[in-house]
Amino acid sequence: MAAVDLLPLNGLLEPAVRFDEVTVERGGISILDKVSAVAPQGSCTAIIGPNGAGKTTLLLALLGEIDYQGRIVLGAEGHPPRVGYMPQRLVFDRGMPLTVSEFLVMGFQKRPLWFGLNTGLRRQARESLALVQADHLADRTVGALSGGELQRVLLALALQQEPDLLVLDEPSAGVDFQGELIFCELLEDLRRKRGFTQLVVSHDLATVTHHATHVICLNRRVAAEGPPRQALTAENLTAIFGMHMGLVNSRSMPSNQAACSAPCCQEQSDA
Amino acid sequence: MPDLSPLYGLLAHLLPFDCLQDRFMQQALAGLLLLAPMTAAMGIQVINFRMSFFADAISHSAFAGVALGLLLALDPGWTMPVFGVLVGLAIMLMQRTSSLSSDTVIGVFFSAMVAFGLAIISRDRSLARDLQRFLYGDILTISDGQVAALMGLFAALMIFQACNYNRLLYIGFNPTLAQVHRVRVAVLQYLFAGLLALIVMFAVQAVGVLLVTALLIVPAAAARNFARSAGAMFWWTLMISLSSAVAGLLLSAQDWARTTTGATIILVACGWFALSMAAAARSRERLA
Repeated sequence: MAAVDLLPLNGLLEPAVRFDEVTVERGGISILDKVSAVAPQGSCTAIIGPNGAGKTTLLLALLGEIDYQGRIVLGAEGHPPRVGYMPQRLVFDRGMPLTVSEFLVMGFQKRPLWFGLNTGLRRQARESLALVQADHLADRTVGALSGGELQRVLLALALQQEPDLLVLDEPSAGVDFQGELIFCELLEDLRRKRGFTQLVVSHDLATVTHHATHVICLNRRVAAEGPPRQALTAENLTAIFGMHMGLVNSRSMPSNQAACSAPCCQEQSDA
Repeated sequence: MPDLSPLYGLLAHLLPFDCLQDRFMQQALAGLLLLAPMTAAMGIQVINFRMSFFADAISHSAFAGVALGLLLALDPGWTMPVFGVLVGLAIMLMQRTSSLSSDTVIGVFFSAMVAFGLAIISRDRSLARDLQRFLYGDILTISDGQVAALMGLFAALMIFQACNYNRLLYIGFNPTLAQVHRVRVAVLQYLFAGLLALIVMFAVQAVGVLLVTALLIVPAAAARNFARSAGAMFWWTLMISLSSAVAGLLLSAQDWARTTTGATIILVACGWFALSMAAAARSRERLA
């Protein structure tokens, strides 16, 4: 990997997540090598990097799903944050008879589902679905949803946790243009209103450029970190992805959006 | 030991069939009415967790549990369930901590349990005669003590299910998602494995080692084809399991049938499954 200078962090912002020399090895192969980075409180922090860079592994370490060396500090000491999680590809049994409403309620309702859904929780589930423009899916079975519909339902589930930290792994993977637009705008709006921290793994550099407030460029190690304008330079991107990256340049930022190809910008320019 | 005669009298009164006037048949019916809802409820999760092979491995540890009891001069009625629970917990521990795939871990335990049981039994030819009872099961020989034990297990299991059905469903759907969203996955998985092992050991006495997995999965598999929600699936499974158990007992007692009760119960459940497949095919045609 090419040597890239680490960029300064976002000043005095308190971190919601701090990765401290996180190392993951499998079968003698290093997947993450002493990764140290932060996700500032209230930020939209994007983790970008090529395939095999360890992005999802870093999220799984954060969620306690895999063993790692080093330290991951979540929130303030003694106050673990509520986490909402939206996985990239959900492996589940599509033959399971489970309605979307039951899926959204089952983590909250104490009374077994065979006695029916609690009225208040059912209403809450419908509101969450309406938020992601998926209220028409409430009575469908989860196994019958398309990839894009499932992503919306998973986002509704993650938001229902009322998270302090929302962890999204490739949220727009398999989602159509309209769906991606919802994800972009809805998440930004909610983050501002509710003040949660968003940690997102994404391949979509245009969307990251437009929406992220903090970027961690990962290729087994942290190659660069900081605000998008500083981290996503042509030099850094070329160093991380190992090829010429013409998609994004550091001047195509929200302040002068001409070159941004994120769906929200496309929508605005079409209008 | 409590006197269960009033219970048997009530059952004979509610189901006034000639064959149910004998006490051993009333005992068998009471045992099945307790066992069927338990296997139904656990069967839903066995399918969701893809644990049918796990149930098979536990049932095959029955041989080893009985043999161990006889070898140590202990009551096999106790050593068998205790041994089954220990094996169940050990499999779960290995599954959670080893990098081996789930079916490989269970396969190793399965082989070890069968080999261990056979090795001990082969030392004493007289023990081999008991094997047949466990292979085919015999609910008609259930004792008052076993019915009372089933009552206790029934109460414990229904409380466990009422408190944890939704969380178990969450884990069955996706354990990582459940864990992140504050479900205590490990604790529930161990509790589930222990309880399942206990129920399998009781069910072995009813339908035998060879058919115990069928008692768990066939009603739940049939219910999947009928149900459109997780709530409905529970009631469908319960109905199919109970009706199969009662119908199987009654049919096996008819003069023209004279079949083994356990096998007849499973055949009735398989009939339900065939019906459910037809219903599912018709439903797909309507949607197409």
